[in-house]
Amino acid sequence: MNQKPGVCTFCGTGCGHFMNVAGSTVERVFPSLNHPVSQGRLCVRGWNIHELLNTAQTINRPFIKKDGRLSEASYDAAVSLLVERLRGISPAAIGFLASPRSTNEEQFLLMKLARAVFKTNNISLASEAGHRGSLNVLHGGTGMAGMLGSIQEICQAEFILVAGSDITKQNPIIGSEIHKAAQAGAKVVTIDSRRTQMAKLSTTFLHITPGALKLAVAALAKYIFQEGLIDADFIKTATKGFDAFSAVLGKLSESEISARTGIARDEFKAVAEALSRSRTAMVFFSSGISGLDEDTIGYLYNLLAMTGKIGKPGCGVNPVAGLNNLQGGYDMGCAPDLLSGFQPLADQAAVKKFSGAWGVELNTAAGAPIYDLLSKSPSSLKALVVVDHDEGFIRAAEALGKLEFVAYIGAYQNRFMDHADVVLPVGRYIEADGTFTNTDRRVQLAPKKAEPAHAVLPGWKLYTLIAEKAGVKWNYGSPSDIMDEVARLTPAYAGISYKKLASAFGIQWPCNEKHPDGTAHFDIAMAGGSITFARVSGTFDMPETSADFPYRLMIGKAQDFWHKNNLMRKTFIPMREYNATLLDYPEGYVEIAPETAKALQVRNQWQVKVVSPYGELPLAVKISEDVKSDTAYAPYFAQDMIAPLLAGHPEIVQKGEDATIPIRIEKV
Amino acid sequence: MYLIKKSDVLNIAKALSAAYQVYGPVVEKVSGQTFFEKVDDISEITLAAPIPAAPPKSVVFPQAERIMSYRYAGGNTPVEIKPDYAETPKALFGLRSCDLTGIQCLDRFFLGQEFVDDVYRHHRKKMFIVTNTCVVPFKYCFCVCTDSGPCADEGYDLNLTDIGDNFFVEAGSAQGEALCKKLNLENASEQHRSEKNACVDKSITLFEEFSTESKAWISRVMNRVTTGFAKEDVWEYVGDQCFECGACSFVCPSCSCFNIADASGGNGSCNRLRTWDSCSYEGYSRMAGGHNPRKPVEDRRNKRFFCKLSYSQSKKYLRPGCVGCGRCNWVCPGDIGLPNVVKYIRRETTSR
Repeated sequence: MNQKPGVCTFCGTGCGHFMNVAGSTVERVFPSLNHPVSQGRLCVRGWNIHELLNTAQTINRPFIKKDGRLSEASYDAAVSLLVERLRGISPAAIGFLASPRSTNEEQFLLMKLARAVFKTNNISLASEAGHRGSLNVLHGGTGMAGMLGSIQEICQAEFILVAGSDITKQNPIIGSEIHKAAQAGAKVVTIDSRRTQMAKLSTTFLHITPGALKLAVAALAKYIFQEGLIDADFIKTATKGFDAFSAVLGKLSESEISARTGIARDEFKAVAEALSRSRTAMVFFSSGISGLDEDTIGYLYNLLAMTGKIGKPGCGVNPVAGLNNLQGGYDMGCAPDLLSGFQPLADQAAVKKFSGAWGVELNTAAGAPIYDLLSKSPSSLKALVVVDHDEGFIRAAEALGKLEFVAYIGAYQNRFMDHADVVLPVGRYIEADGTFTNTDRRVQLAPKKAEPAHAVLPGWKLYTLIAEKAGVKWNYGSPSDIMDEVARLTPAYAGISYKKLASAFGIQWPCNEKHPDGTAHFDIAMAGGSITFARVSGTFDMPETSADFPYRLMIGKAQDFWHKNNLMRKTFIPMREYNATLLDYPEGYVEIAPETAKALQVRNQWQVKVVSPYGELPLAVKISEDVKSDTAYAPYFAQDMIAPLLAGHPEIVQKGEDATIPIRIEKV
Repeated sequence: MYLIKKSDVLNIAKALSAAYQVYGPVVEKVSGQTFFEKVDDISEITLAAPIPAAPPKSVVFPQAERIMSYRYAGGNTPVEIKPDYAETPKALFGLRSCDLTGIQCLDRFFLGQEFVDDVYRHHRKKMFIVTNTCVVPFKYCFCVCTDSGPCADEGYDLNLTDIGDNFFVEAGSAQGEALCKKLNLENASEQHRSEKNACVDKSITLFEEFSTESKAWISRVMNRVTTGFAKEDVWEYVGDQCFECGACSFVCPSCSCFNIADASGGNGSCNRLRTWDSCSYEGYSRMAGGHNPRKPVEDRRNKRFFCKLSYSQSKKYLRPGCVGCGRCNWVCPGDIGLPNVVKYIRRETTSR
């Protein structure tokens, strides 16, 4: 029998799979039928993961840059150089960019390396602020920094809201679970500015004006409040802070809501009633690379809190991570101000605990996220250690060029290597034991499945070697020892061990004495009987159209993230599938409605000029029924090209799936 | 017709292991999932295990397989090309009849037409097949609707049927007969044959009770699909539910479509791979130059069902392309496994 269990390492769903492995080659992949999350399903990425794992485009040996070119080196020489160079730079000028793809053990050791060995708190995940925004809202409201519900409980939800997420493309198996709930009778409502597949599969689709998502969610809350559809008992006995929220809702004008969202009052009311009347309800939204902003997430959380849909089976506010170990990255403390398990660095007791366990005095001076540091000019950063970076995010190339020292750590070849002074390879995911934490807090063990194809160290051994060269001896015999340390220092992981994980399909944290088998969903008792409403801004700025700029351009990310993904490019079938649109539209495209095309007198693939108040660019036309006549859509992979449209306004892209710019389209 | 004691049945596999690489049903312990796997230790085989999660198609048509390698050092040096694939005699032990039917469909595709596929032929020749009658159907089974079970009637070397204390053994070929003789199996009587027939009949009656997840009125729908009476709206309803994952093709015992890709190994060396492909993928039907005759997802979806359920395709297989294993229903992220689509077409379902 040669079937080795594992966890798919593409998106944050955490589907189970089995692999046939011969030597260092993966012969085939098969879904795990009894896996509680995926139940026998995989998506196009998951079914073809062996193509990535078998690629020859791995980094097979360490490199050191000499005279502007990378030349082969030993681990000993490359690690020594890394340590020597970092030693010569003050801790405040050193940064670590962690990867949302690394295992928990690797994340934890990188965090330890940054803080305990190189004494810097400049560590962050390469995934922008989206997921942090979700965790801030959920942690602030409930004390739990993770999905409040559970993928397994989707089938128990009577009402499911999908807000601004192309979920069947980004996290297909979660989309599948929502679809199955709908088939079994759940009411599924999608709010989006574009007709996604989920929209087609929903009971109700609110096709909003781009940029109006927050207002649409607030409108639902308003009608629930106004029509007396709130769960008054729940609000009274189990929540704090509702008055401040309801005061914000009171200020919203009905006419403004309809005019700006494009949705009639009765449609909102019908959805509000369905949500309120259902016994159980969940909301799903993208978190991470295409995440919503924190304020919008606050409204979504409040919407479910005011209807009493938090803290019960089949309920929950559910951010969906786009990358496989994004949740685990935060759990392991890969954030400037957080230790593992969302323990703040500002908490003296926590710092004391870590300092004691690690035998060092931790630096408590606040660090900063790496992208914030890089975007400042001049940047205070002088050295950067980057792990497993997707090349789609190389937009800081100029800032990288100004650093004194860059190290790249990863398994697969990547354009980032060109920016590195030292390159250190680590093994593929199948070459070592490791755990990943998916978007519903499920910590899963993926045991080692193959021998290294080349003399490459697994990540945990590399980090141990770096520490050792820096004069700190870590005594880990295996990744299991690292998880034991995580468990000792992290209350949410207290009950987790490799032994426990090996005999099951993972454990959802918090796992501790009270919950030895983990926790499927948040319970009010976990927050001492009371949760808090999120504080929301009460402002709904939307870029306005005008006679000069009559169309609203949406900048989509979710689906197109995979287009530029460095990993997809190393496969055959996923590359073919994800790049299919790129082949049709090598210079990017703008999607417009048939009516718009008629008005402009253009056909598919014709060139047009898209003009915004800030700049202009040429794009090809793609005609689609999925956008409304006064809107247009441009995918994220064209971001390099979209940059001129946004000159000087990077904050627009920060709005994730809700990013919008007014434009006009000119026939060329 | 022979008999072998239940406790001795694995002796057949043991005997085969002397000359063949044996494959059989093995249950993975933590998950309880059945795989049809290469076995080195015959005692790993669980003959009564539920139908394997993946069909044994991968034995003759692997998910990814090197079919050729070449090397080109550049300049005026010649290109070295060699056919490069494995040839091991294989025995499939405990195959279910639906999966045997799947292999027969693949035979007709790879061997039965104008071109004979040499790579496939190497897997298929020197093969010994032992089928195992399903005396109890499983949750997703509907082979009774596709004329491919629960008992195999041709194409095996030996067929086993659990008739209580013994397995009833039928030899379907000279090499099957020879093996029975070599093992000195006890001769079976007509009485035993009627016991076997009773077991098969009973299994058929159990479908109503056990196979609750799948039923498919294949003949009725074949007529509709072939004559164009399947409504456009139904195909759209089906297409909207397609997640374009490829799973239905990958788990289908009779799906034979493949992709060819050259995997560079550096230094001018290259492996040419044949990998599974799926008609649900947009890139599958895309042509050079960018034109795609089946761009909308519903057009790609109905292709699958034309392939499984139309007369013109069935003429190639000499039977429906569907073998009734129900696996596409297990793994579909939408709700469009073949039995469901049959239901939608029959009932003209266009919305929930």
